[in-house]
Amino acid sequence: MINKHHNFLFLLLIVFLGCEKDDICIEGSENTSRITIGFIDYETKGVKDISLNSIRGIGLDSIIEIKSEGNLKLPLKANSNKTKYLLEYNETFDTLVISHHTFHKYLNRSCGYIANFIVKSDTEISKNSGWIKEVSIENDSIFNEEKTNILIHY
Amino acid sequence: MIQFLMKKKQIFLFIISFIFSFNSIFSQTENTESDSLIKKDKSFNINKLRFGIDLSNPMISSSNDNLSYEIVGDLQITNDLYLAAEYGSIDRYIEDENINFNSVGNYLKIGFDFNMFNNWVGMDNSIYVGLRYASSNFSNKVDSYAVRSGEAYFSNLVDNGYENVTHNNLNGNWVEIVTGVKVETFKNIYLGISLRLNKLLSDTKPSNFDNLFIPGFNKVTDDNTWGSGFNYTLTYSIPFKKRK
Repeated sequence: MINKHHNFLFLLLIVFLGCEKDDICIEGSENTSRITIGFIDYETKGVKDISLNSIRGIGLDSIIEIKSEGNLKLPLKANSNKTKYLLEYNETFDTLVISHHTFHKYLNRSCGYIANFIVKSDTEISKNSGWIKEVSIENDSIFNEEKTNILIHY
Repeated sequence: MIQFLMKKKQIFLFIISFIFSFNSIFSQTENTESDSLIKKDKSFNINKLRFGIDLSNPMISSSNDNLSYEIVGDLQITNDLYLAAEYGSIDRYIEDENINFNSVGNYLKIGFDFNMFNNWVGMDNSIYVGLRYASSNFSNKVDSYAVRSGEAYFSNLVDNGYENVTHNNLNGNWVEIVTGVKVETFKNIYLGISLRLNKLLSDTKPSNFDNLFIPGFNKVTDDNTWGSGFNYTLTYSIPFKKRK
């Protein structure tokens, strides 16, 4: 009789522990923002659309799909203070080195941490012989993707 | 979340109702079959002190963890009422969805158990319900985590230098509703199993992190103060009186 109870409680235990809530990060939760890059004409300083040939993070093989000819949104390295991109335009490669402070913010169990960034002033083009003439910082804090953070003059 | 709370509540009521009904069914049959029940005595009756260990803790912990244990004890004060306590020390590496962390701490749970099982002469088993007040002092050390991002272009694994810190001096307090059985397997040696429904009362929140696990309380879910636990105990009883 006691054994019966024992088995019964053991069964209950399994049911009990099986009833844990699934933590799913809700879509639309805060997310890590990408850097927004605008392109302007070096001479007139007016907005100038661009059709880049390719974009690739240095050290990676896969290229980033280019979706528009206007502003470019690129992910930054959440576990580093430097993100480097190779930008190809008219068969010329230029390396954009984005220096940034990286902060991690805890959301909850299901979403974990997101990253916020502040672009540092030593963001630069590593060689000056290419198609990019200058890089300027417009808005240094990256907490959302609404504003243009840096401008590439070409 | 409310649905979930309802679910837990229902589960608990389900367990309680079953135990109550089983108990009453069996006690009825006992009453008819046997007329030599031990006389019910509601007076003070310090009869035995039982202590032992939880066997589930070593089973759950992985080989990388340091020793985790739980010591359990109860003292019979009347025929059906026991003072009960558990003390535990936990060191567990937890691989959660996004965050891997190490939880280290100890806890003390104090309360009582009420036996609802009518034993035949010479038997000493119990089916009980109980309550505990529990408190835990602990630290959670964030080991590694993956930063949430829309597109996984770069590796987002962070294992050094950012929020990989130890959150020290954390404290949690909660109450537990306990149901369980204890079976005398050999003379004075008992095997027991108990289920616990935990309700967190308060906890100190670490900065830029949360208490995802509290030693003794176990997993803490988002926006929810309910938790659950169980133990599987082996206890030895020191009888103060000779059993008839």
